[in-house]
Amino acid sequence: MLSRKQRFLTKTGLYFCYFVILAFFLFPLLWVISLSLKTREELFATPPTIIPETFAFENYARVIEQSGVLNYIQNSFVIVTATVIVTLLTAIPAAYAISRFKFKGKSPLLVIILMTQMISAVVISIPLYRLFAQLDLINNYVVLIIVYVAVVLPFSTWFLKGYFDTIPYAMDEAAIVDGCSKFQILTKILIPTSVPGIVSVTILVAVQSWSQFVIPYILLDDDRLYPVSVGVMNLQSTQESVSTHLLAAGSVISVLPVIILFILLQRFIVGALTSGAVKG
Amino acid sequence: MKTTQAGQKKKAGRWRDSPLPWLLPLGIILTFVFLYPVFEIVRFSFTNASLMDTDYEYTIGSFLRLVQLPGFYQMLTVTGIFVFASVFFQLFFGFLIALIIDRGQQLKMRGTVAVRTAVLTAWAIPGVIIGIIWRIMYNETESGIFNHFVSLFGMDTMPFLSDPQMALFAVTLANIWRGTAFSMILLYAGIQTLPKDVMEAAKIDGASAFQRLTKVMLPMLAPIILINLIIISIDTFNTFDMVMALTGGGPGQSTEVIALSIYTSIFREFNLGHGAATAVVLLIINVGMTLVYLKILGKREER
Repeated sequence: MLSRKQRFLTKTGLYFCYFVILAFFLFPLLWVISLSLKTREELFATPPTIIPETFAFENYARVIEQSGVLNYIQNSFVIVTATVIVTLLTAIPAAYAISRFKFKGKSPLLVIILMTQMISAVVISIPLYRLFAQLDLINNYVVLIIVYVAVVLPFSTWFLKGYFDTIPYAMDEAAIVDGCSKFQILTKILIPTSVPGIVSVTILVAVQSWSQFVIPYILLDDDRLYPVSVGVMNLQSTQESVSTHLLAAGSVISVLPVIILFILLQRFIVGALTSGAVKG
Repeated sequence: MKTTQAGQKKKAGRWRDSPLPWLLPLGIILTFVFLYPVFEIVRFSFTNASLMDTDYEYTIGSFLRLVQLPGFYQMLTVTGIFVFASVFFQLFFGFLIALIIDRGQQLKMRGTVAVRTAVLTAWAIPGVIIGIIWRIMYNETESGIFNHFVSLFGMDTMPFLSDPQMALFAVTLANIWRGTAFSMILLYAGIQTLPKDVMEAAKIDGASAFQRLTKVMLPMLAPIILINLIIISIDTFNTFDMVMALTGGGPGQSTEVIALSIYTSIFREFNLGHGAATAVVLLIINVGMTLVYLKILGKREER
C-alpha cells in the first residue's frame, strides 16, 4: 500500500494531468461557444476577450433564420436513422450466418469484409458519382443511404459476429430441440441476448454517419438535401470573416445533438468502443 | 408421391441450411458500393478519361505522368509527414491519457469520467466542424486566440495557415486533437484486460514504476498497440474532411494530403485518369496495411 503522503502526491499529480487534458480537449469547444455569443465588434477585439462582454444570443436566431442549419440537422436525422435501420437489418443476418453456419469460403469472406472497411470513401465515391450522374441518381437519398450503410456495414458485421460468438452454441441446440427454425433461433435467442451489442453498434453507426462528409459532399448537389457536415462546410465558404460569430453559432448548433447524445450515453459509448476494441 | 415430398423437403432443407440468404443483402451492398467502384477506379487509372467527356482511351499515361510530376512527390511527402506525426502523437498521448485515467480510476478520483468524456467528445465531433473550429482558432490577426497566446510570450503574430510549413504543422496538431481519443479508448480497454496479478508480482519483485511499464505492461500490450497503430494509420491516410475545412489543401499544395489530392484532380481539374491513378496509390496503401493487420490478428489468435 502507498503511504498517505505518497497517495496525496500521486493524486495531486494526477489532478494536474486531468486539468491539462481537460484544458486541451475542451478549449476549442469553449472558444467556439464564446465566439458564438460575441457581437460583431467584439470579434475584432485585441486582445481577444475570453468571455463575451454581452451574451449575444441573437446570433443563434440569425444563423437559424439565414442558413437553414435546422434543415441540415433534420436531413442528418433522416439519413442517420435510415442508415442505422438498414445497417442492422443487413448486418444482423450476415453476422448470424458467419457466427453460426459452417461454410466454405468463410475466412476469405471475413477478409473481404475487413478490406472494404479500410478503403477510403473518396476512392469509392468517384465511380459512384459517375454512375449516379449517368443514371440521374445524384441527390437521391435512397442510393445515398445505401452508400452510407456500406461504409458502416463491415465493422458492424464484424462487431456483431464477435458478439454472437460469445453466446454459447448450447442455447441454439436447446432451441433446435424445442423445434425452433433458424430464423426463430436468431429472433428468439440471439437477438434478445445481444441487446447490449446491438445498442453499441447503433451508437457507433449513428456517430459515424452523423460525421460522414465525403459521400454526401460528392453525391449531393442540392443544398436543401445537405446533411449537417456539408451544410456547415457550405456555410463556411459563404460567410466572410465579419461573420465568424455566426459561423461559430452554426457549428455549435450542429454539434449539439451529438454532444447531448454523447453525455447521456457516455457509459454505453465507452462500453461499445472498448468491447469493439478488444475484439479487434 | 412420397419420394417427391421427401425430395422437396430435402431441397427446402438445403436452402434452409445454406448461409446464402442471410449473407445476400450484405453481399449485394458491398459488391455495389465497394467491388464495383474499386474495379472502376483501377480501370480508369489506365485511361485518359476526364470527368466531363464520355470518350476515353486506354493508356498507362496517367501513371507515367504521375511519377514524373514533382507535385506527386510533394504530395507524398506532405501525406507522409502528416500521417507519421499524427499517428506517433495520437498513440503517445492516447497511451499516456489511458494510463492516467486508469490510475485515477484505481484511486477512485473524482472527475475521471469527465476527463474521459471530454477526450471522447473530440472523437464524436464531425471532422468538418473540427476543421472549422481550428481554422477560427488559427486566425492570423491579433484577435485570433492562438496568436493571442503567442503574444503573451512576447512574439509577433504567426501566419499559422498562410505559411506552408506552419500550415502543415497546424493541420497535424488539429488532427492529433481529433484522433487521440480513439487510441486512448483502445489502449484503455487493453490496460483493463491486463492480468492484475502479473503487475502485482512485478511490484513485489521490486520493479520500479518505469520498469513495470516498459518490461511488463508494454510487451503485454504490444499486439493491441500494433493493431491500434494500423487502424489509425489507415484512418489518417484517408483523412479528407478536416483538412478540407481547415486549409482546403493550401497554401499552394502544402497541406494537400493524398485523399484531398484525388478529389482535387477529379472534381477541380476534371482529370479522372490522373485522379484515379492517385486513388490506386491510396488503394494499394489501404490494402497493404490491411494485410499487415490481418497477419497480426492471425498471430494474436494463435496464441
